[in-house]
Amino acid sequence: MESSLELTTSLTGTYPPLRTRIFKIIVIGDSGVGKTCLTYRFCAGKFPDKTEATIGVDFREKVIEIDGEKIKVQLWDTAGQERFRKSMVQHYYRNVHAVVFVYDVTNATSFRSLPAWIEECRQHSLGQEVPRILVGNKCDLRHGLQVGTEVAQKFADSHSMPLFETSAKNPDDNDHVEAIFMTVAHKLKSQKPLMLSQVPGDGGVLPLRKSEDEDEKSWSCGC
Amino acid sequence: MYLKKSKSVGASSPLNGIGKQDWDSRRKRKMGEIAQALSVTPVDVAALRRMAISEGGLLTDEIRCQVWPKLLNMNTDNLPEKPAADLRENHKDYHQVLLDVRRSLRRFPPGMPDDQREGLQEELIDIILHVLDRNPQLHYYQGYHDIVVTFLLVLGERLATVLVEKLSTHHLRDFMDPTMDNTKHILNYLMPIIERVNPEVHDFMQQAEVGTIFALSWLITWFGHVLSDFRHVVRLYDFFLACHPLMPIYFAAVIVLHREEEVLECECDMASVHHLLSQIPQDLPYETLISRAGDLFVQFPPSEMAREAAQQHSQQTAASTFKDFELASAQQKPDSVLRRRRRERAAAQAQAQAQTQAQDMAVARPRARRLVRLAVMGLTVALGAAALAVVNTALEWAPKLDLHLFP
Ligand SMILES: Nc1nc2c(ncn2[C@@H]2O[C@H](COP(=O)(O)OP(=O)(O)O)[C@@H](O)[C@H]2O)c(=O)[nH]1
Ligand SMILES: [Mg+2]
Repeated sequence: MESSLELTTSLTGTYPPLRTRIFKIIVIGDSGVGKTCLTYRFCAGKFPDKTEATIGVDFREKVIEIDGEKIKVQLWDTAGQERFRKSMVQHYYRNVHAVVFVYDVTNATSFRSLPAWIEECRQHSLGQEVPRILVGNKCDLRHGLQVGTEVAQKFADSHSMPLFETSAKNPDDNDHVEAIFMTVAHKLKSQKPLMLSQVPGDGGVLPLRKSEDEDEKSWSCGC
Repeated sequence: MYLKKSKSVGASSPLNGIGKQDWDSRRKRKMGEIAQALSVTPVDVAALRRMAISEGGLLTDEIRCQVWPKLLNMNTDNLPEKPAADLRENHKDYHQVLLDVRRSLRRFPPGMPDDQREGLQEELIDIILHVLDRNPQLHYYQGYHDIVVTFLLVLGERLATVLVEKLSTHHLRDFMDPTMDNTKHILNYLMPIIERVNPEVHDFMQQAEVGTIFALSWLITWFGHVLSDFRHVVRLYDFFLACHPLMPIYFAAVIVLHREEEVLECECDMASVHHLLSQIPQDLPYETLISRAGDLFVQFPPSEMAREAAQQHSQQTAASTFKDFELASAQQKPDSVLRRRRRERAAAQAQAQAQTQAQDMAVARPRARRLVRLAVMGLTVALGAAALAVVNTALEWAPKLDLHLFP
């Protein structure tokens, strides 16, 4: 991997072609919906045998390759408990390139919380152009289903987000979790300008302008 | 007494390179001293504090069952019976507690049979809900269960319940506010302590803008969440129970400082540094780090750091972007904004007062310094001093530290 240290100083306006680009994605949603398991599955390729409550913010990353370009995908896995969000998690919204909202298909409450999570994002002033996706997790638990695809799809449509239903646990869906994050990565890669390096000292969210207008509806949150 | 897992901790030397026989005899002597301190009336709590801090800590779980209550000034002669009331379902935090306890498998000894572990998990839920129910001012936080499980495993359910309740209204009080503002404030001590010892590491971390959330779980679980060896956890609990409630943040600083080289070699960005620091090495030299934390506490006591921690906070506020300001006003109801402004004004006044006071004290300072230096020269003496400081302040610990220290 190319060293990026010597390049970080020249990051005003242009992006260095040699630097491994970083896609920073924040994963949010109620406690227990499976955020830790999903991020773990994407980064480690398997369902963790023992997860624990996430305290504050956990970080996982994975290097992927798209069209021959190596890209570092950084997943920021956040604590779901309300009290951590106000004063603790703020810092991690900075420079975020995409947001993954997660609910649990067997838990209607977690679905009903989504507007509050969307509102949290809005309060952190994420730009419209920051892609958002909705993930319904635990689809392996067919019997306990509480949130049907239709109602979830309707919600996703109303917020202009694509919906994915998956399971972090079910091995059959192994590719699916991977595919979801890869979809986000592809989306980010297609966006211009490609200013996806973290600039030290930059306090705001980096602007990622859309490349294709027709994408707008299904990727940016209309809130 | 309950589970004997951590018993063997003292059997081998906690300090590498020191002869086993040597340690064995010192261990025996220490056990005698602890028994002695326990046998006098009233119990010699100051001696017990020194034992809990010094090499090897309290050695066995049997001793911990006797000494931990004393460190919290508790009388455990008449333990309440297990409460009959079923607190489940109707407690507001029940679901969160259940969720966190159910997935806390890693906190239990690897070889433990499932049904035994499940029984303990039920007890864990009961203790937590019992304490919360009796103290409506306390709010559950994810990580609280990591602390409670340690007490449960060492002390058993009944004793753990009373100790945890006491601890929750003292050492852990700030973490259990409705919001985590006070917790954040305590985290603000971290960087000033690091700066005093190693400005280079401090500057590097500031430049990376890593923040302090990597240390959040360390602080609010007393490292119970991040250390996999239970023996290390109880050793640290000996130390923290004997010390000022802010000691865990000094220990956090010591861990970062111990990893100085790794930190400085790390890529200077938030993700890399956060990632590096949040993965705690499991083979830390605990005894050395404990005594170093004790030294730092004596050299840079909370009263000295409080001002900087508060300043760090106000600097952050001052340097915040317009966006942040907008955010704050959007999020908060006008009255809470006003209340906060009032609080900030009060804090600023207290700060100004403290500065004048500090100037007044400037003459006296060097001498105090020299005394501290002398104390630091002998480790035991230094830790004794730390323990003494504790006796005087720990139980009067109040959340608004910065204000209380500069009346
Ligand atoms: N059946 C099933 N259980 C899951 C799945 N994902 C997570 N879980 C379980 O749900 C619980 C909470 O998961 P976790 O990832 O810790 O949730 P988080 O609080 O959102 O990070 C754990 O007990 C997991 O084992 C899934 O896809 N299927
Ligand atoms: Mg989690």
